[in-house]
This record gives sequence, C-alpha cells and structure tokens, in this order.
Amino acid sequence: MRAIAILLVCAALAWAQPGRRGRGGPPAHAAPLNPAEVEQGEELYNQSCTMCHGLKGTVGDRAPALAANRRYLRATDAALFDAIKNGIKGTLMPPTPLPDADIGKLVAYIRSLRASAVDAPVNGDLTRGGAVFDGKGACRQCHMVDGRGGLLGPDLSSLGAERSLRYIEEALTRPKAHIPRGYQPVSFVDAEGRRVRAVVKNETNFSLQLLDEAGRLHLLLREEARGLRYEEQSLMPADYDKRLTAGEFQDLLAFLSRRARSRGTR
Amino acid sequence: MKLALVLTLAAWGAAAQVTYPDLVKADPRNWLTYQGPYHARRHSLLDQINARNVRDLVPKWVFHVPGASRLESVPIVVDGVMYVSQPNEAYALDGRTGRLIWEYRHEPAMQRGPNRGLAAYGNRVYMGTPSAELVALDARTGSLVWKAKMAEPEEGYWSPAAPLAIKDKIIAGIAPGDHGLNGFLDAYDPNTGERLWRWHSIPKPGEPGNETWAGDSWKTGGGNTWLTGSFDPELNLIYWGIGNPAPDFDGDVRKGDNLYTESMVALDADTGRMKWYFQFTPHDVHDWDAVEIPVLMDAPFDGKPRKLLAQANRNGFYYVLDRADGQFLLGTPFIKQLNWATGLTPEGRPIRAPGIVPSLEGTRTCPPTAGATNWHSPAFNPDTGLFYVVATEGCGINYKARDTFRPGGFPFMATGYIEDPEEPWQMYVRALELTTGKLRWEYQQIGSKRYGAGLLSTAGGLLFAGDEQGALTALDAATGKPLWHFNTGQQITASPVSYEFKGKQYIALAAGSNVIAFGLHDPAAEQASE
Ligand code: HEC
Ligand code: HEC
Repeated sequence: MRAIAILLVCAALAWAQPGRRGRGGPPAHAAPLNPAEVEQGEELYNQSCTMCHGLKGTVGDRAPALAANRRYLRATDAALFDAIKNGIKGTLMPPTPLPDADIGKLVAYIRSLRASAVDAPVNGDLTRGGAVFDGKGACRQCHMVDGRGGLLGPDLSSLGAERSLRYIEEALTRPKAHIPRGYQPVSFVDAEGRRVRAVVKNETNFSLQLLDEAGRLHLLLREEARGLRYEEQSLMPADYDKRLTAGEFQDLLAFLSRRARSRGTR
Repeated sequence: MKLALVLTLAAWGAAAQVTYPDLVKADPRNWLTYQGPYHARRHSLLDQINARNVRDLVPKWVFHVPGASRLESVPIVVDGVMYVSQPNEAYALDGRTGRLIWEYRHEPAMQRGPNRGLAAYGNRVYMGTPSAELVALDARTGSLVWKAKMAEPEEGYWSPAAPLAIKDKIIAGIAPGDHGLNGFLDAYDPNTGERLWRWHSIPKPGEPGNETWAGDSWKTGGGNTWLTGSFDPELNLIYWGIGNPAPDFDGDVRKGDNLYTESMVALDADTGRMKWYFQFTPHDVHDWDAVEIPVLMDAPFDGKPRKLLAQANRNGFYYVLDRADGQFLLGTPFIKQLNWATGLTPEGRPIRAPGIVPSLEGTRTCPPTAGATNWHSPAFNPDTGLFYVVATEGCGINYKARDTFRPGGFPFMATGYIEDPEEPWQMYVRALELTTGKLRWEYQQIGSKRYGAGLLSTAGGLLFAGDEQGALTALDAATGKPLWHFNTGQQITASPVSYEFKGKQYIALAAGSNVIAFGLHDPAAEQASE
C-alpha cells in the first residue's frame, strides 16, 4: 500500500511541469490541418490507394488499415510522406509518382482520418489529469504509460497520436461492441487446480498465449487449457463518466490526449 | 566434338515436356495447371499421405522468394520441377530439395500485383506480367522465348492470373477489375505468341447484351478475367468467371443487368465464341466479382446423370449449373449472414432485398464486398461427395459517391466499403453436399478473419487448409476434424498443391514470402538428401 502511495506521488511530480496545459498549449504538429488540403487528399486517396488500403483507410484487402492502427503506425508527417513517396521496400507498398504537393495532401488526409487527439484542442489540466490517471481512476493498474504501469490493458504512452479524441472519450464511457484482439478476458484451471484469470494475447485452433493478472505468460495448447471460460465483458471499466466528476473526466481527457511519445512531443 | 553434337540434338529432339494428352490425363504425380487437372477439383489422387499417417508430415524445405510479402502464387510441378511466381518473376525449383534451378526477371518490372502462377505446355512455361504481357519461358533455363502484348499497360491493364494451357492454345485473362477498363479473354499460339482469338466480356453496340448497359456505360463497364478458369476437353468448352461492373458501387450510371459481368461464361476453345452464360448477380453494386473457380464434375442431379459446374460465389450463394448448356440447377446460401437477397427465382436470379445498396451514409451489407468467398480455391472430393469452400461470415458498410472515369489506370469504383465495426469477420472451412449445398460440417479458423488461403483435397481422405494465422491444417475430409497442423509463420494467401517425385508425395504451398514443401518423416531419406 505504501509502495503504491509513493509511486503515485512520484508520478504526480513527474507530470507537474509548468506550461503543459491542454488549452493554449502548442499543437503537436508544425502545421494544423487545412480542410481544403484534406479534401483534395481524400480525392487523391480514393483514386490511387483504396484498392489496397480500403475506403477511409479502415479495411485493406492488401494493405494495413491506415487509420488508427497501432501496429503499422507511422506517426509523423515525415514518416508518412516518406512511405508514400518512396514506397516501402520489400512490401507491396509502391512508390507514388505524384508531385510532392499532392503527397502532402495525402499525408493531410491520412492525418485527418486518424484525427489524432494530440492535434485537437482539449480543455482540462494535464497535471490534474495525470493525478486522476494514477489515483482515483486507477488506470495505471492496468495500463502502462512511459514504462510504468499494469500489463492487462494496452500501453497508452502514444494514445494521443494513435486515436481521436472521440475514440478516447468513448473508450472511457462505452464498452466496445467487441473485445479487441489481444484483450479477451478468460479464466482457466492451472496445474495446481487454481482458476487463473488472464487475457488472450493470441489464439488459434491449436494454442493460446495468455497473460494472467500477475503478469505471467501461459503458453498452452488448447487441450491444456482446462476449464477455459471466455468472459463476456472487457476488463476495461467503461463508465468513467460516472466514476469521475465532470472536471476530473475533462482533466483526464486532456492528459490522455497529450500522450504522444511516438511524435516526440514529451 | 561428336559427343557435343549428340547432346545438342538430344536436347532439341527431346519429347515435349507437357503434351495436351498429358494435360488431359493429369497424372497425379504432377500438378500441371493452377487448379491441377482441368476440372479444377483440386483433389489429388495421391494417397501416400493420408489420415492415418498425416501426423508424421514434416516440412522438407523452404524456399524464400526474395522481396516477397504475401505470395498468391500456386506452384505447378512437372516431373519434380516446381515453377512458382511473383509479379515480374518466375522461379524453377527442385521439388525434392527446394533448390533454385533458374529464375526469370521481367522487364519492364512494373509494380502491380499479385501474380498467381504459371502454365506449362511443351518445353515452356507461361506467365502474365504487370506490364500486361504474356511471356513464354524455356522450362529448362528460364530464357525468354517470346512475349505477347495483351493490352496497353499505360491504360492500366495487367495480367495476374495463371494462364491455362489447352490444346495448342494458351488462355490468358486480364485485370484490373475496378478501373473501368473492359475485360477480355485471349488465346495465344504457344509457339509464336500470336493471338488466335479474343472474347470481349462487355458486348459492343449491335452485339447481344449491349442493351443491358444504359447509354455509353458499357464503354467503362469492367468485367475482367483475373482468375484462372477450368476446361472440359470433351465439350471443348472453357469456363471462366467474369468480374464486377464499374463503377463498382454506383449502379445508377449503368442501369441494366450489365452483361457479362458477374457471370460464368462457356467459350468454345477453338473459336472463343460464347456457347452460354449464366449471370449470378445482375446489376451488381457490391463488387462481387464472379471469378471464383468453376469446379467441374459429373454426378446425378434429380436422378439424371449430369455434367455439372459448381461455384461458391462471392455473393454468398452456392450454385450448381449444367455445364453443357448453362442451365441453373441449384442456388443456396453457404453463409448465415446474407441480407441483400431474400432468395433466388427458379431461373436463379436473385430476389433483391429492398434498400441493400451502397449509400452516402453507408449501408450494412452481408456478405461484405470482400465476399462470402473470393479467389482462394475451393475443392471437391468425389469420395465424400463434398464441395469444400473457405467462407467469410460478416458484413460490411458499403458507401457510394459520384465518380468519373479517367483514362490511365485509375480506380473507378465510386467509393467502397469498410468492415462492420460492430462485428468482426470470421473465417470458416465449410463442407457442402454437392447437389444440395447442405452444410455437412464446418471448421472455424480461430483468430482468422482475412481471406486468401485456399484448399487442397486428397485421396488420402484429407483436406488441407491455410489461414490468416499462418497455420496449414489437415482436416479429416469426412468430418472436418483437424488431424495435423504446422505454423508457417506468415499469413497464407495461396492454395496448396500436391505432387510426387521419386516415389514420395509432397504437399506444398506459398505461405507469406516463402514456398514450403511437406512430406512424411523419413530419417533414412533425409540423410541421403540435404
Ligand atoms: C499495391 C497496394 C498498395 C497501394 C496501391 C498503396 N499501398 Fe500503401 N501500403 C501497402 C502495403 C502492403 C503497406 C504495408 C507495408 C508494410 O508492411 O510495412 C502499405 C503501407 C502504407 C503506409 C504506411 C502505413 C504505416 O502507418 O506504417 C502508408 C502511409 C501508405 N501505405 C500510404 C499509401 C497511400 C497514400 C497510397 C496511395 C497513394 C498507397 N499507400 C497505395 C500497399 C499499397
Ligand atoms: C481492470 C483493468 C483496467 C483499468 C482499471 C482501466 N483499463 Fe483501460 N483498458 C483495459 C483493457 C483490458 C483495455 C483493452 C480492451 C478494451 O478496449 O475494452 C482497455 C482499453 C482502454 C482504452 C482504449 C485503448 C485503445 O487504443 O483502444 C483506453 C483509452 C483506456 N483503456 C483508458 C483507461 C483509463 C484512462 C483508465 C482509468 C480511468 C482505464 N483505462 C482503466 C483495462 C483497464
């Protein structure tokens, strides 16, 4: 208990830096999005990219979804520009013959698709938000930020670059229609006959890779996972609008939306 | 000196490697076309590997295809030599050791994919290219013998399908499907590359079928031929599935049935003239290319022996046609989530559910545009009487917008679709009774929602299936029970084949960026090879 309290204090100190307010803080990007550019970018995108990346970058037949996909994320404008201009060697991603100005529009469109929270103005106080994250919200129990925290939920260190503000808000207030891959909670009976709770990091017809509440991995063949039970509900408590006051919620949102480690903003 | 001369003569005078009778006979030790034998059942008659010993199946070799990501190529195998491709490139491998014999790199190497494989005829192998050429390569060295221009690459055409070798002709299809470029099917002289006939999938004014296109919409109608069909040597008919109409998602600008998009066509092999057609999805607005493999078999239907053609279509229905005349015999869903039609008329025409058309705000459509199935191969096992198909359960949200055709190879789709965010897709292997379409068993591919991995059936009572997770699995053909599996390490987007060399049966497939061959564990033999 004391260890946790100390940890919380340290964490609070770490974020207690001046000039890190959500409101009025500098945007994480050099240039804000220009709606006309975004629109032209969408047109270009629909002409040359949808057959692989899919409409709105959400489902690709031959390529990753470009919008808000953790695994493939190129987070900076420069990285996106480079991938589009030069292609990605050793993959199907081709170089584009389009002029640089058009590539810039494509980058703008992809950014708009992602509508990253870090690019959006958000009210609220970052420092107080960080305290809610560690304290009343107990988020760090399950989520790692900057190398510290729990393991059962996704690492949120770059959340603001990867997700839109609306997405984050919904994640805190509405259970997802489907538990995302990697976070299905299950329980099973281990060799000592104890029921163990865990999340499914991966599964196929033949094996399961499970991470239990104590942070232990269980690498099981399906027949070894005795008494395997799938839970209906995600571990993520999606009712923080009720658990927190409106002010705390807003501060938390400001804090979360500025987690953008992959952009080098903090 | 004399010896050299004799050798040269021997090489020149050697019997043709693959003759037309070879192709008709289809010795199961070889895998001679994209689909194996002409009937495209993908049922190997080899049974050395079978339900009793499949647990002893082990990888024998891996060939990494340089620079590959997700190969869609299906190897062909001739007397122990395997030929496999990726766009612009062909490789000949020793089927026992996986060692490279030769490689071919095509110029100009345009960046368009995928490539699905080669055809073998005589002493040559044939491949389509991203530059819309058909090339003939010497099967022993990979030397370029001739190349034929199929279409203008600058217009946006390319040729991904494995060609099909029939008697004195190489049949080759064309892509793309979604650019408003009209499709065709070609026949070429195997020796010279001269074009012998061309069948146009979109009829011109004055030709029957043109009236199914409002105004000038036929000019950008699409209807491509990007997957290999099948062939009946007795009827002398080529069966080929035709792709979607363009623009894909906006039917308002192309009112009418839009023939011969979304159809199965039967073409006379000598002339390329159409004998019959059957349109699965008239006036399609969901991009459900009807290119899926037409599988041929003879079986009683309604008590009468019939020459049948079966196809599991991307639109969610499983169809059985009479392949002599194209008569519709059966159509029944092979997926549970199907909301765009309430059924089929006695003639096989879909009865449309109102409102299931793409819209500005998005329309939930099941199956999704990705399809209830797609180009990954089905299989038919005459011993079980079952038709096997890899099916996607799920829905998409389909959108529509205005689009204008632009020459030069730009997509002309009038937007597209997304996966229904409320409901992730799920892949299944399903076994259907041939003449009823009834589901006999299904195998859920846990953790897989992306299509691409096809099937191989064998006389050993096995059905081999790949999946998105990279597992190659042998299922009991009668029950669907998994008997063996191997993690290939990459998403599988191709179909397995089987062949025999020096008395040993192999199962092989392209898995991600590798080609992998499996055989029964045999410690003595492994010492002897590598
Ligand atoms: C032929 C298919 C194809 C086409 C066409 C294509 N892409 Fe890609 N793209 C890919 C593939 C495959 C990847 C993933 C490469 C990898 O595995 O890293 C990719 C990756 C990317 C990435 C990097 C994604 C990330 O976050 O890491 C961007 C950005 C991208 N594509 C943008 C575009 C744009 C913009 C267009 C249109 C001008 C386009 N692509 C056209 C296949 C394609
Ligand atoms: C008991 C464990 C647990 C606690 C406590 C918890 N989470 Fe989560 N959270 C998860 C899990 C597991 C997921 C992934 C599954 C899901 O999205 O439903 C998740 C998902 C999320 C996501 C969505 C991430 C994404 O990219 O999709 C956000 C945002 C989030 N949590 C924020 C928070 C915040 C902020 C708090 C504290 C106020 C919190 N979580 C508390 C377990 C937890």
